[in-house]
Amino acid sequence: MNGVEQALIGGVSGGTAILLPALGELISERAGVINLGTEGAMLAGALGAYAMTESSGVIWYGIIAGVLAGAVVGLAHSWITVRRGGDQIASGLLLWFLALGVTSVFGTDYVGTAITPLSNIAIPGLHSIPWIGAILFDQNVLVYAGYVLVAVIWFVFYRTRVGLILRATGERPEVVAATGGKPQLVQIVAVTIGACLGGLGGAQLSIGYVGNWFNNMTSGYGFVAVAVVLFAAWRPMRVLGGAYLFGIVLAAASVLQAHGVSVNQYLLDALPYLVTLLALALFARRGRSETPEALTRSLSRSG
Amino acid sequence: MTATPVNESSVRGTDVDQLPPEQPVGPEVPGAASRIRLGPGSRYTLISALGYVTSLAIFGVLVAVKGAEPISVYHTIISSTLLNGDALQQTVLRAIPIGLAALAVAVPARAGLINVGGEGQLIMGAVAATGIGVAIGAAVPGALSWVAMCVGGALAGAMWAALSGVLRTWLGASEAVTTLLLNFIANDVMLYLIYQAWKDPHGSGQPQSRPLAHAAQLPKMFGSQLNIGVLIALVVVAATWFLLQRTGWGFQLRVVGGNIEAARRAGLRVNSLLLSSMAVGGALAGLGGALNLAGVETQLRPDITVTFGYVAFLASFLGRHQPVKVVGAALLFSAVALSGNGLQITDGLDGTIVDILLALIVAVPLIMAKYRRRAA
Repeated sequence: MNGVEQALIGGVSGGTAILLPALGELISERAGVINLGTEGAMLAGALGAYAMTESSGVIWYGIIAGVLAGAVVGLAHSWITVRRGGDQIASGLLLWFLALGVTSVFGTDYVGTAITPLSNIAIPGLHSIPWIGAILFDQNVLVYAGYVLVAVIWFVFYRTRVGLILRATGERPEVVAATGGKPQLVQIVAVTIGACLGGLGGAQLSIGYVGNWFNNMTSGYGFVAVAVVLFAAWRPMRVLGGAYLFGIVLAAASVLQAHGVSVNQYLLDALPYLVTLLALALFARRGRSETPEALTRSLSRSG
Repeated sequence: MTATPVNESSVRGTDVDQLPPEQPVGPEVPGAASRIRLGPGSRYTLISALGYVTSLAIFGVLVAVKGAEPISVYHTIISSTLLNGDALQQTVLRAIPIGLAALAVAVPARAGLINVGGEGQLIMGAVAATGIGVAIGAAVPGALSWVAMCVGGALAGAMWAALSGVLRTWLGASEAVTTLLLNFIANDVMLYLIYQAWKDPHGSGQPQSRPLAHAAQLPKMFGSQLNIGVLIALVVVAATWFLLQRTGWGFQLRVVGGNIEAARRAGLRVNSLLLSSMAVGGALAGLGGALNLAGVETQLRPDITVTFGYVAFLASFLGRHQPVKVVGAALLFSAVALSGNGLQITDGLDGTIVDILLALIVAVPLIMAKYRRRAA
């Protein structure tokens, strides 16, 4: 296994922890609600998944717990912003803070313990394709969930009535209301499903990737996911590309380090945020015209 | 939704009596007459008060779940932050970085910008102050290094925030997201400095910078723990209030924040207003970081800001981005954040539990947003 291959395998696996919350954020923003609480949903999902796996011993229960923990954050965000008319940015930050407090208070018992992370499943046939097989088809189930979700979300967005209503809600909720739809319901469902994926992304970190839990283990990945959606101009396929690019940059840096190329540790830690910032700088203007219109209203005002 | 037909008819001088009798005059609320009538303003206050009590009750349940006595916890929160002189002074000192970083949110918010980068701007202010203070602190008179550290901190914060301002005005990248990302980058810059480049050779392996020379530290006033940073912060708060409420610049920011397209058509230089509001905000937070370093911390260490920047965002939101209220909210949050230490020592709770209390407090105005608009 050479270095490039190692970096790509790690990139797909690590990128999944960004991809899942970014897809969730994509659904939420397409309905016109920005959710900075994605970071909180990830934290809640990471701890929920870990705690459940540790106590029940069944990793599947852990995955479900992670999704449900994310759903709680999503329901709270949608209730505050959609039903109560609260500011979206402030609500997202508040829920992140709440999740940070709750997970560090209730997570102390789990710090220092470890579980066996999700095992990789080689897909028969596909995994023996030279090169690509090892990178794409010998991963854990959450990585595969990422592939499936991108396809499903693309199909729902652009080929179904539900997707049309969702996108219309993100552009002009009043038009959806005028045609007899329920824009608030659409937004609540979209934000909640989105946060479920945030929780799943957290689960990928805690029980999929490392097999333990520590305080604030998401360290801003949820915010990166929000940024990925922006520079991907709200397109599912570009979100996939952005998230994996991100994972590959991270993995490449540590592979370089392992091969004795000296990379400064702090530069390495800052790299994900720097790359994201750069991508935003390069692609933001192009994506701006594609911003869901209802989202523009909440993005440009606070308070 | 206005009652347009009624208005039109009265403009045309038609008698209101000619309207069909079944047409209701106003929205009739069943049972409204039997209730005690409250003005929308006082009703808002009443429901908010109930909301805050509920928040405190939820927090009480939470600490009870963690095995602490709720009454004792509330007592600790108050006694460890307000009831004795030392604690009160600590609350005031902590309110300096939180309050200035909260104004760093409030100023751009006037122009409709969302600055979530208080954390990074505080860090860059502290970093610049450390660099300047360590370099010149031992060689020049104290007053000179205080001024240099404050100016340096403010400039560093301004530049850090202006970066997001430039990304927004030139490239159209959302400042809410770029300021957040820059927080993490600032933190890595600081960690690099204290673990490697600026590491104290006499720090017995601790990751921290060299301490400021005694002369470079802000002097304490009247034998108390309060340093002259309190006075500097008060002057700056007053200046910010003046800038926002009494100058053309402050007025123009409000115009841009009200309707950016109208402001552009009216010939305002929108981009430079947006950029300058970010820079001024960043300068305030940078100054807060510098004052905290030169007056309280005296050397750079990893957890120097401990989420003050985010607490500041919530404080500015609670104070509705109005300078005086924002500073009040910052004092309150400073007390809550400080009470984490007391809760850890007295009640055996994890100190981060105060993050939950902060969030529960801010949840009230968020949930009440609709009522507020109706009351306004």
